Amino acid sequence: MKKQLTLQKEFLKGVWDNNPVLKQLLGLCPVLAVTVSAINGLAMGLAATFVLFMASLLISSIRKTIPPQVRIASFIVIIATFVTIVDLVMKAKFPDLSKALGPFIPLIVVNCIILGRQEAFASKNNTGRALLDALGMGLGFTIALIILGGIREIIGSRTFFGLQILPNQFEPWLIMILPAGAFFTLGLLLGLVNIYTDRKKRLEHESLIAHYKRVGREELIEELEVK
Amino acid sequence: MNKVIQMLIVLTSIGILSGGLLATVSGWADPLILLNQKAATEAAIFRVQPEGKNYEQVNITGLEVYKVFNGNNEEAGYALVYDGNGFSGKIKLIAGLSKDLKNIISIEILDQIETPGLGTKITEQPFTSQFVKLETNPKIEWIKGAEPTKPNEIQTITGATISSKAVVAILNDGISRLKKLRESGELK
Amino acid sequence: MELFIIFISAAIVNNFVLAYFLGICPFVGVSNKLSSATSMGMATTFVMVITAIVSWLLYNLILVPYNLTFLQIPSFILVIASLVQFVEMVIKKVSQPLYRALGIFLPLITTNCAILGLALFGSMREYSFLENVIFGLGAGAGFTLALVIMAGIREELDLADVPKPFQGAPITLIVAGILALAFMGFAGMI
Repeated sequence: MKKQLTLQKEFLKGVWDNNPVLKQLLGLCPVLAVTVSAINGLAMGLAATFVLFMASLLISSIRKTIPPQVRIASFIVIIATFVTIVDLVMKAKFPDLSKALGPFIPLIVVNCIILGRQEAFASKNNTGRALLDALGMGLGFTIALIILGGIREIIGSRTFFGLQILPNQFEPWLIMILPAGAFFTLGLLLGLVNIYTDRKKRLEHESLIAHYKRVGREELIEELEVK
Repeated sequence: MNKVIQMLIVLTSIGILSGGLLATVSGWADPLILLNQKAATEAAIFRVQPEGKNYEQVNITGLEVYKVFNGNNEEAGYALVYDGNGFSGKIKLIAGLSKDLKNIISIEILDQIETPGLGTKITEQPFTSQFVKLETNPKIEWIKGAEPTKPNEIQTITGATISSKAVVAILNDGISRLKKLRESGELK
Repeated sequence: MELFIIFISAAIVNNFVLAYFLGICPFVGVSNKLSSATSMGMATTFVMVITAIVSWLLYNLILVPYNLTFLQIPSFILVIASLVQFVEMVIKKVSQPLYRALGIFLPLITTNCAILGLALFGSMREYSFLENVIFGLGAGAGFTLALVIMAGIREELDLADVPKPFQGAPITLIVAGILALAFMGFAGMI
C-alpha cells in the first residue's frame, strides 16, 4: 500500500522538495528562454500552470476511460488544446505579453513538466490530489521562473518587474540578457540548490547520529552510513 | 476487437471535443486579435506621420499602405508597412513617406527578433533618427564605420551590420514597389 | 545562396540549442557520452527533416486553405508523435544495436521542443517547401553539433575535479553558456 502524502504535502512537494525545475530538471527550455525579465517569467509560469491545472483536472477525471495504449496521444491532444486556448486568449487580450513570450507559449505543449505530471500522477490519482499536485508543481515552476527572471533582469537591465532597482551608475551586464547569461545563471542557481540540499542532508545526518549516540543505539549509525 | 474500438472511440471523442472547443475559442479570439493589430498599426501610423490626423488604407493587393491626411484634410503622405528578412528572423517596419515618395518622414520597427543588445539597436535612436527626412532617390544606401556623406545614406550599427542593412533593404524594396505603382497610375 | 544562408543560420549562427534554447532537455540529458550524443543527434535530425516536410504540407495544403490554423498546435504535435513512433519502429527493424543504444531517448524526441519549434518557426517565417526542408536539415545539424561538442567536453570533465554540488547539470549548463558565447562569434558570418 503506497504511503499517501498529506494533502498539504501533496501541494508543497512541487514547490521545493520536488521542484520541477530546480530538482527534477524538467522544463528547462522555457526557463532559459523567457526569463529575460521577471514579468515574462511570471506570465509564462501562470500560462503553464493554467494548462497543467486544466490538463490534470480533465485527465484525472477521465483517467479510468483512457486505454493505456493511447494514453500518451490522449494526454498530448488534451494538453495541446489548452495550450492553444492560452495562446489565443493571450493574443487577444494581452498582445504585448504574447509578443514578448513569442513561440514559447505554443511550446508549453512539449514542456516535459506537464506531460510528466499527467503520466506520473494525474492519470493515477483522484482529481483532488491531481489538482493539488498541479498547483504545487505550477507554483514551483513559476517561482523558479521568477527567480531566474529576476536575477537576469536586475543585473541585465537594473530593473525588477519593470521598476528600476539599481542606480544608473551600475552598468548593466548585457550578457545576462543573452543566451549565455541564461545558461550561467541557471547553472549557478542549480549548483547553489545542490549546495544547500547537500548541507541540509549532512546536518540532518549528523544530528541523527548524535541522537542515536545519546539514546545508546549506536548500531543504527552503521545502517545510516551505508545509505 | 473491443479494445481497438474503445481506443478509437476515446481518441475520436477527445479529438472532436478538442476541435470544437478550439473552434469556439478561436471564433471569439480572432476578431479581438484583428482589432489589436489594427489599433497597433494605427498608433504606429501616427507616430511615423506626426502631422497625420486621419488615414485610409489604399486598395492595393499584396501591399499594406495608407494615405495619411493632416488636420486640414490635405494629403500629408503615406505610411507603408513592409517586412523582410533580418538577421534572426523577419523584420517588420512602418515608414512614413512624403507625398512624392522622395523622402522618408520617419520609420519605426514594429516586429523583430534580432540579437538582444546588438541587432535590437535598430529599434532605437540614434539608428532610427537617421531615417528622418532621408532621401530615397535613387535608393537608400548604407555605409559602415564612417559618417554618411550623402543625403540618402545612413551608417550601419557597429556589431549589427546585417540587421542595419536588412532595414535598408526592406525600405528600398517597399519604396521601389510603391514608386512603380505610382508610375503605373495604380497609386493615387 | 539563400538556402545556404538558411542552413548556416540554423546550424551555427542561430543554433537551435545555444541561441534559441530548444532541445535543452536532451542536451543536458544525453550529452554525457559521445556515442549516444551522435546517435541522438542523427535520429533527431532525421525526425526534423521529415517533420519539416510533413508540417509544411499539413499547414499550407490543409490548415491554411480551410481556415483551420487554430488547429496548428495539436495537429503539429500529433504529426511529430506519430513520426517518432514510426521512426522508432523502422530503427527497431533495421538496426537492433542502434535501437538498443538509443533506448529511452527515441520516444523522448517527441517532447524535444526543438522539433515543434522547428515546425512552428517554419510556418511563422513562411518558408517555401524547399526552404523549410533545408531549415530542418540545418536545425538538426546544429542540434547534433551542439550535442557532440558538449559530449566531448563532458567526457573530459569526467576526469576533472568538479565540486560535488556542481557535478552533472550545473556544470553542463555553465559549459553551455561558454559555448553559447563562443557561437555568438559567428554572428557576423552571414
